[in-house]
Amino acid sequence: MKNHAAEAEKFVADSARAHWHDEALWYVRRKRDVAASQLPEWEELREVAGKIKKNTVENLAYYLELFEREAQNNGIEIYWAMDARECNETVEKILREEGARRIVKSKSMLSEECGLNDYLQERGYEIVDTDLGERIVQLHGDRPSHIVLPAIHLKKEDVSEIFHEHMATRKGESDPEYLTKEARKSLRRSFLEADAAITGVNFALAREGAFVVCTNEGNADLGTAMAGVHIACMGIEKVIPSARELGVFTRLLARSATGQAVTTYTSHFRRPKAGGRLCVVIVDNGRSGLLSSGESEALSCMRCGACMNSCPVYRRSGGHSYGSTIPGPIGSVLSAAGNMDEFASLPFACTLCASCDNVCPSSIALHDLLYGLREDAIKSEAYRGKRTLLKAAAWLLLHPSLYAFVMNLYRRLYPFIPRRILYGRWNVWGRERELPEPARRSFAQIYEEMSDGK
Amino acid sequence: MGSREKILSALGTARNRGFEVELSFPILSFGDRVCAFVENLKKAGGESIVVEGELSKILAREVGDADSVVDTTSILYGSFSYKKGEEVDVAILGADLAVAENGALWIDTEDRYPRSLLTLARKIVVILEEDAIVDTMHQAYERVDFSKVSYALFMSGPSKTADIEQSLVFGAHGAVAMTAVLIPSKRA
Repeated sequence: MKNHAAEAEKFVADSARAHWHDEALWYVRRKRDVAASQLPEWEELREVAGKIKKNTVENLAYYLELFEREAQNNGIEIYWAMDARECNETVEKILREEGARRIVKSKSMLSEECGLNDYLQERGYEIVDTDLGERIVQLHGDRPSHIVLPAIHLKKEDVSEIFHEHMATRKGESDPEYLTKEARKSLRRSFLEADAAITGVNFALAREGAFVVCTNEGNADLGTAMAGVHIACMGIEKVIPSARELGVFTRLLARSATGQAVTTYTSHFRRPKAGGRLCVVIVDNGRSGLLSSGESEALSCMRCGACMNSCPVYRRSGGHSYGSTIPGPIGSVLSAAGNMDEFASLPFACTLCASCDNVCPSSIALHDLLYGLREDAIKSEAYRGKRTLLKAAAWLLLHPSLYAFVMNLYRRLYPFIPRRILYGRWNVWGRERELPEPARRSFAQIYEEMSDGK
Repeated sequence: MGSREKILSALGTARNRGFEVELSFPILSFGDRVCAFVENLKKAGGESIVVEGELSKILAREVGDADSVVDTTSILYGSFSYKKGEEVDVAILGADLAVAENGALWIDTEDRYPRSLLTLARKIVVILEEDAIVDTMHQAYERVDFSKVSYALFMSGPSKTADIEQSLVFGAHGAVAMTAVLIPSKRA
């Protein structure tokens, strides 16, 4: 099992960096607040977005079939994949048909989820992540720590070293402008030589048979414009009814994610370009199972990252501490709901402060879901010790005279228990806190004495 | 059973559209849409020029001493040629829709030129009539006729990134600069 607390401990060991990380994300959260405050209808929009997503997810088969039919009419090839393996195989099959070796990819959390990069690299394909943050992480042999800001765990000095090693940039030069321009030059070559472009999908429009990809860099646009084949991978929950609803989501997405009024490029793909192929792979990979669970609301997520920027635990523990593709509150829900044995610690990586609920553009009640998941988590094998202890405590509390006896014993013995035993390794609670000194007499004793006096 | 059938059957047997969600609340509107558009495009790193006098003179000034210019509007140059993958200094485009709330311009290639022009031009100049500016994305999508679209985008300012320590840098991949050239409405 992954252990969030243990991983977080490694992250906070570098206190200055952890503090910087916290501040950097809070800065993004504040930009979101400013953007949201400029729309009087912000709260109504969030509510409507939640309703649209819920309605679409509840009638998903209808909307997916409609999308498929309309997209095919527009010349888009539709493929279906049950799981990560089938998604990767489908992508490779298309690449093989095209004789493609060099691939540029814009950001797609689904491809991270499926391990597409590793899969293709093992088979001899050259795959270049073109989003700057993802490129940094890729060169570093690392994983994104945030879904919108993949390299937020790295400082510019780190980026400078990574680029110096892989792109021969000037040593010690860590000016973001310089580093970005060098990345532009290096990636431009990859774009111009690409055989295939892989993108994610932000929204698929059922009625129009089209889909939308949002970026700030224009990397999805440039990649797909150059390569002969464009393969877009989408989770089944990405479909929305039509362009009418798209108005709601494009108003919410960037404002929630970075505080921009809209992403720089909001690109609509409806037909393949002349002589090119446009392929969409519709991937389930556990999503349909989620639909019938208590956490189906999580399928409303539009991957803006606002819950992460708001979460006091995420900001202070870093994205990698979650050990899942998607970190933060939404990642904890998705991972724990999908594989509780592996991710049982994630529902506890939460203070139940509900800050995430208040910023989620789809109005997902994230902290309620996490609270509910704790009940399942505690039943998992990993928490057997804790479960036994709680059962013992419950039993003790059900036997008042025994409880009184035990507590009385504790009060008497407390002054004689050596600190190293009382605060031994077993006492996780006491690691950062002091136990209160027990009162000399219990409440029941005092109450009895006072009642006798009357 | 193929994956398509497996996925669809896992989603249940119901096949209906559910309900249409109403947008029954007042939506942001601007007294001066042009002013809001200019301000929001500026926030996104783009410039705006309101045309006074001759349009071609303004375009000539925007183009400056650029070596390679692709004018898809045929206003500055009579014709244009552009091949996929060519890196050019300036692309002149036309738009007939823009959004006040976020400074986005609707750019539709209409399959008239290779898509790479939109990202391989260092500077993008877009000509737009002020009348074409709507308040929000809601009205914008009402105006788009998707049945004619192959590939089109809302573009708000030049390409940008803040992936290194949240420092904003323009020209991550695509255009380094963007200018909207606004033609005043005829009614005014």
